[in-house]
Amino acid sequence: MKRSTLLYASAVALVLGAVLQLSAAKVGEAAPDFTGAASNGKTFHLSDYHGKYVVLEWHNNGCPFVRKQYNSGNMQRLQKQWTSQGIVWFTILSSAPGKQGFVSASEENDYLAKMQAAPTAALLDPRGEIGHLYDAKTSPHMFVINPQGVVIYDGAIDDKPTTDLNDVPGAINYVSLALEQARAGKQVETPATRPYGCSVKYADSH
Amino acid sequence: MADGSRIQIKMRKCLSRDLTFGIALLLGASDVQAQSTPIPHGTLELMAENQWIAPGHKFDVGLRFQLEKGWHVYWVNPGDSGEPPRVEWRLPAGLAAGAIEWPTPRRLESSSIVDYGYEDAVLLIMPIHAEAGLAALHTAMLSADVKLLICSHEMCIPGKAQLSLTLPVKSQPPVPDARNGDWFAATRKSFPRPAPGNWKFSVADTSDSFTLTVHALRQSANRQITRAVFFPLTESEIENAAPQKFQSDAAGFRLTLRKSNQLLKPIERLRGVLVVSADKSDFDQSYLVDVPCSKSGAARSSHDLQIQAAGIYPTRSLTLESLKEVPRI
Repeated sequence: MKRSTLLYASAVALVLGAVLQLSAAKVGEAAPDFTGAASNGKTFHLSDYHGKYVVLEWHNNGCPFVRKQYNSGNMQRLQKQWTSQGIVWFTILSSAPGKQGFVSASEENDYLAKMQAAPTAALLDPRGEIGHLYDAKTSPHMFVINPQGVVIYDGAIDDKPTTDLNDVPGAINYVSLALEQARAGKQVETPATRPYGCSVKYADSH
Repeated sequence: MADGSRIQIKMRKCLSRDLTFGIALLLGASDVQAQSTPIPHGTLELMAENQWIAPGHKFDVGLRFQLEKGWHVYWVNPGDSGEPPRVEWRLPAGLAAGAIEWPTPRRLESSSIVDYGYEDAVLLIMPIHAEAGLAALHTAMLSADVKLLICSHEMCIPGKAQLSLTLPVKSQPPVPDARNGDWFAATRKSFPRPAPGNWKFSVADTSDSFTLTVHALRQSANRQITRAVFFPLTESEIENAAPQKFQSDAAGFRLTLRKSNQLLKPIERLRGVLVVSADKSDFDQSYLVDVPCSKSGAARSSHDLQIQAAGIYPTRSLTLESLKEVPRI
């Protein structure tokens, strides 16, 4: 009896584990913890930022959808606007060596300086571990995590899935919207959208 | 039209080495087809199915993408990443373009990303409606501004192309242009069609997946459906990269589609294209699917659903960006 209960319990745990793995970064659920090596040489743990809002931004500097955001200055403006209000912003690079968007730490530091980008840190994830943990599909794919560690937004940066710089000014920015609404104690109106962009250039793609 | 003449000049310039084209221009032969224009990692050509425009009739034109190996463009629902090509027409008064009629796409798999699109070559066909009043013109120039994203598994590049095509306007019944006929015919063969009338579809919405059940009576005793792949018309409904579990029995088959992480609300209908492979058949068939979702999943006949190729697919379904492709004249 006892043994079968134990067996049952481990079976349930296995199934639960599988389910949790599948929906690792789903809106309304706990954001999976990760450790990331930043281009500035520091190491960051998501769990250290419990109590703060955290934004995750998947990045590939060669992707035309990302270039739209950076060449227009929009991404940097968002990073400055939100980090200045105590929000943590991680730019995550999951491109594998040899693929579009893969850079060394010093190349990334040069890029951040040249673009005047202001994330809390740029995390180098060439093996795609954080990317797969969050099932990041595109650059830019955005996540917002609340101070309780729950994902409150998963999807696109805005409502204009194009590579055209002219589409930036009139766009509805879903990240800002989620942060504004959550910080005002309101329900996030649009908690999930299709994360448009270039596919994340993972190591195991062929 | 200043814009149009500039394109004409540009085209003449880049095609000046084509002697035939040059002579044709000098002779004023206006049924000369536009030559292909380079795009990143491929070429793009605007072609017409008929030799001339007959006022009062609809005719088809197509954008033919020829892509280098390893590169692809996208379906109307691009899947996990990418964007479909977009077309903006500049047409003389009396001509109006309809939406793209999307051929059945392929799954483009790479790591945990699955996109829907086309490799090698594809013709995107669009209807053009010619008003009866167009008879006053001798020729009509059709100009298309195309924006596209072309990707390999390693990178994505945006592209732009301006294409134009001048066709004569004649009152005689239109005659097909033999040079392009095969392309149009082959492409139409790959269009999804309404499913056989005796097939019954249902969709059950469970907590983490949709189960599409198809009661597919066999056309003949020796044809068993061995494989099915579903392409969702709407983004972020199913997890594109998840395996689609196929189960068959005597009555038909079932396909289990995992819900997308980004799908937080129930959907009313599951719409898309279902590609099925059968025993002893070299060709896959692709069918239109437009089925209400229910918690119980009660079966309905495809007759009830009134699926018409010209109705729900593609025109009515393409509520997102593609409507922008229809020029307002």
